[in-house]
Amino acid sequence: MSYRVAMDIGGTFTDVVCYDERTGAVTASKAPTTPGDLAEGVFAALGRVVDDPAEISFFVHGTTQGLNALLERKGARVLLLASEGGGDVYQIARGNRDRMFDLRYRKPVPLVPRQDVMEAGGRLDYLGREFVPLDEASVRAAARRAREEGFDAVAVCLLFAYANPAHEARAGEILREELGEGVLVVLSHEVAREWREYERTSSAVLEAYTGPVVRRYLARVERRFAERGLAVPVHVMQSSGGLVNASYAMRRPLQTLLSGPVGGTMGGVAATRLLRGEGARGNAICIDMGGTSFDVSLVVNGRPDVSAEARIEGYPVLMPIVNLHTIGAGGGSIAYAEAGALRVGPESAGAVPGPACYGRGGTRPTVTDANVALGRVDPAWFAGGLMELDAEAAGEAVATLAGELDLDPLLLAEGICDVANAKMAQAIRTLTVEHGIEPREFALVAFGGAGPMHAAFIARELGISEVVVPRFPGAFSAWGMLEADVRRDLTHPYFRPQDTLNRHDMSRNFGLLEEEALTALSAQGVPEDRRRVEHAVDMRYEGQDYTLTIPLRDAAEPAEPGFLETIAARYAEAHTARYGHATPEAPVEFVMLRSTGFGSFPRTAAAPAQAPEERAERVRDVIFDGAVHSTPVLRRAGLDGELAGPAIVVEETATTVIPPGCVATVDPNGFLIVKVNP
Amino acid sequence: MDPVTTEIIRCALLQAAEDMNTTLIRSSYTPVIYEAKDCAVALLDRDHNVLGQSSGLPIFLGNLEVCTRETERRYGREVWEEGDVWVLNDSYIGGTHLNDVTVYGPIFVDGELAGFAASRAHWLDVGSKDPGGSMDSTSIFQEGLRMGPVKVYAGGEPCRDLHEVIAGNVRFPHATLGDLRAQVSCAMTGQRRLKEIVARWGLETVLAARDEIFAQTERMERTAIAAIPDGIYQASGHLDNDGIDLDVPLPVNVTIAVAGESMHVDLTDCADQATGPVNCGAAQAVAAVRVGYKLLVSSDVPLNGGSFRPLTVETRPGSMLAAESPAACQYYYSHLGLLIDLVVRALAPVLPEKAAAASYGDSMIVQFTGTDPRTGKVYVSQEATVGGWGAWEGGDGEDCLINNVNGALRDMPIEVLETLFPVRVRRYEVRPGTGGAGQWRGGNGVVREYEFCGDTSLSLWFERSVTPAWGLAGGGAGAPPRVTLNPGRRGSRELLKVNALPVRAGDVLRCETGGGGGYGPAERRSAEATAADLARGMTTG
Repeated sequence: MSYRVAMDIGGTFTDVVCYDERTGAVTASKAPTTPGDLAEGVFAALGRVVDDPAEISFFVHGTTQGLNALLERKGARVLLLASEGGGDVYQIARGNRDRMFDLRYRKPVPLVPRQDVMEAGGRLDYLGREFVPLDEASVRAAARRAREEGFDAVAVCLLFAYANPAHEARAGEILREELGEGVLVVLSHEVAREWREYERTSSAVLEAYTGPVVRRYLARVERRFAERGLAVPVHVMQSSGGLVNASYAMRRPLQTLLSGPVGGTMGGVAATRLLRGEGARGNAICIDMGGTSFDVSLVVNGRPDVSAEARIEGYPVLMPIVNLHTIGAGGGSIAYAEAGALRVGPESAGAVPGPACYGRGGTRPTVTDANVALGRVDPAWFAGGLMELDAEAAGEAVATLAGELDLDPLLLAEGICDVANAKMAQAIRTLTVEHGIEPREFALVAFGGAGPMHAAFIARELGISEVVVPRFPGAFSAWGMLEADVRRDLTHPYFRPQDTLNRHDMSRNFGLLEEEALTALSAQGVPEDRRRVEHAVDMRYEGQDYTLTIPLRDAAEPAEPGFLETIAARYAEAHTARYGHATPEAPVEFVMLRSTGFGSFPRTAAAPAQAPEERAERVRDVIFDGAVHSTPVLRRAGLDGELAGPAIVVEETATTVIPPGCVATVDPNGFLIVKVNP
Repeated sequence: MDPVTTEIIRCALLQAAEDMNTTLIRSSYTPVIYEAKDCAVALLDRDHNVLGQSSGLPIFLGNLEVCTRETERRYGREVWEEGDVWVLNDSYIGGTHLNDVTVYGPIFVDGELAGFAASRAHWLDVGSKDPGGSMDSTSIFQEGLRMGPVKVYAGGEPCRDLHEVIAGNVRFPHATLGDLRAQVSCAMTGQRRLKEIVARWGLETVLAARDEIFAQTERMERTAIAAIPDGIYQASGHLDNDGIDLDVPLPVNVTIAVAGESMHVDLTDCADQATGPVNCGAAQAVAAVRVGYKLLVSSDVPLNGGSFRPLTVETRPGSMLAAESPAACQYYYSHLGLLIDLVVRALAPVLPEKAAAASYGDSMIVQFTGTDPRTGKVYVSQEATVGGWGAWEGGDGEDCLINNVNGALRDMPIEVLETLFPVRVRRYEVRPGTGGAGQWRGGNGVVREYEFCGDTSLSLWFERSVTPAWGLAGGGAGAPPRVTLNPGRRGSRELLKVNALPVRAGDVLRCETGGGGGYGPAERRSAEATAADLARGMTTG
């Protein structure tokens, strides 16, 4: 019982990271994902790091089962039960457009077609007071239809259920009684206890749509692991960046929707903790760049940047979710000429045909081709040598475009990278502007196959002086899961203009949430001394809509005299930090109470990487700033001491480019730290 | 100028505008800005050309520069001083209603004027005779505080006098001054970004890049226009009325002349400026034409100072589209929505691969105001209503979607509306069978039914009953809107436009918006599509 194991099951590969509690050794490996029977790939990957599952003391994984079902529109068949007169809320979808100049705009196609929506009589008012009783016959009619027509799930979203769940709860009872275990019944107030009926309906529908798939999958994984002797519960990463055990995830499957990718952000959180020390509250920008994708997320004050809502595939979800921003198209972005101008992206060559250098028929130059032409990618080492690159094809693609623009091909190749880097940097800057923070205050944590290749250039554009390339940049999401806490988020709608606030009532409500959170943590097997609950309240000035989440000292704080002044001042401070101004004299209002329970796992420091191998150094010609530099290419495992750029560091899953003027060192955690001079 | 540097500078300017917009939207006080995105920003060069812009509302496209231009015309270039911020909302300059306030400031780099940062945002109230704006105003002097070009910050410090004037003339001073501050921070963000860009590359390089960027854009625009066959293209429609003389429809005629690489749009043949508030300044008519042009001709071409060089627009002073003082302008957008649709209609025969049939057309405003019996506080609720969009070759129009003029506006959730205001929403549903028939059908309108829980004062602005959404290529027209007070009860009445009508607690208001036009003959609609419509209950037959 001495291995802690994390696994990130992606579309193509399953990454696994294993931590040996006895020696502190960390190992990473990967195996192809096996879509037919995922367990096969999981055990293949596991077999590379641990001999006997019974030796595992902690197991966590990220799954994309729910997300894949959504992306491929292969989720459950859902019957939606809505309030009478509001059945079309889900179809109308708030009526907005995302694109301004489009005469042919279409909303995302609803996951439940209009004919599969039924209405239930009964109505509550804005305070949750009943003024039309629930029409139980209409609920039974829905149950009958679900049974007769073989629906997999029923989602229920009744107006004002967040204020008073009684009608929904009763409808749930009837449906469960009539339908039994075979049909998943989802109640909106259990998924998202927040106002706004369309967003809550959408959340409930998404849970109903993806839930059956996720539940089946988790049940299978647990069973297979138990058969192999795993003695501890399977944990799952949630979209919030926190962990839960599988039995909870089966009850709230929606929370696992972005399970995989948020591991990287949690890795960023852990990296910040290791770099700056526990409690130092560092800031980091996490960039995950692959062949065709570029995702950015933020760590602010040592915490992941988590939103209370998000849109996935155009569908809103009300749940805590790590903000992942997909920008441009990464290494696959195509460069082209338009009216004499050079453009890079957003069109991507994708995986097929892919960049010209993949040799799969692509002829248009991409960012990856530009990197190859500049010598920044060692064709022999691309993707750990698993893939051969056609450097000549890359050169030809770049040369053709250079002819169109009347530019020297190498200048163009560098220009393509410069434009791509500038665009990525600008998009990152806008994200930080939204938080009212300057990017200079951040470290740039780069992972994914291509992240470390561009990181130093992006950092320079942003005025960032420190790039961190973690160990196993290709398996960083899995590593992040290993370092995450158990997390349970609870909300309580609490709409109160300041003149109607009862401080003691607010405190009492926080107390109830705290009890609920502690109970939930103990159900997750977190011992008493490792539980903690944090409280915060969503606030705004009267008339505003966006809220800021303002932390409280503890559940008792609202009961203290002078609380209103204290919290208003704290809000004004947060408002100034975020927006640059505040109106201290304006009245505030409270919207939502939020309590989050955390359960931490014991962590011990990782041992340094194995003793350096031979410095298998080679030298290549690489272009930087328009000139050829004779550049050493080094194996990462063999690095020690200081390494001045230009240099290229290769490892199985990633390439790090250290431009001239930058200096890299390996820190005690095994991170490669690149100091970037402006 | 090397294309790499040019492209990096171009992206940096666009991103600077995005940052300005982010700052404005995230820090504004009123939902009309952060929710309805009733705002726009632009970074301008010192000759008032657009370097980068970001718009929440299409209708604000490319006319923020009229404000800096007019200020300079009046007071000379030497009027610009570092740290100053200006404000302007004059309808005859900016083109829109007084609620749209433009805030702009010069940007100096090393003591030299380098450009301007500007934003326009809709203020909730500017002190018109009715809260939020009137539907029956007959002169600009009933519509609120009118500000020419005036300084609101001087040398980086707020001008107290003007702040007092604003605070004393609007109904919600906290929120209004909050929005003003948001616009000032937006201008500061623009200043900071442009300074960074100039500091990095030098003013000379930035100007050379600018010239190249504009030239590239102009080439793309000219290529797009050249692909349209030369000729004269026309379309006509009618606004229902001006909100005062309810029986007199107002004509809008568009004549577009395409010759080689340029396009001229003649708007002179339209109604004279009206008694009611359906007038706009010429700048806004130009902006509307640009929106129609952008939608149809060059939606993929970047927006900047090179964008509209081959496009000229002619208006007639004293007409509804180039109104003069003291014409009322509160509902400046109804005929502009129509104008945009008419530009599309005129060019549809030669650009069938981009066109679509008409949409339901206007914002369809429901406004009610009174004292909330639950709290004793005064409230104003104003909502735009979704409707059906037009079909095109290959696709049905979307159902229940916000109108073209209204950008990213989202409807008000029932749960939020009932919490904030003394009202209940009895139904909110698709209005089946209202999209125009066709091989591709028009989108359906919506039904939204309110029951008032306290006495209130009701104002309505529903349009397009005279010219409902037309079909294209043989497709049918969409249904017009219909609004009924107390449907099915004794004394029930139909209304489309009304100002401050007293209604009682318990009264029911049923609002039905129109559908979009169809495309192609209905008999060519596929059997599967017809069956799917029936299954989904989207048609009534």
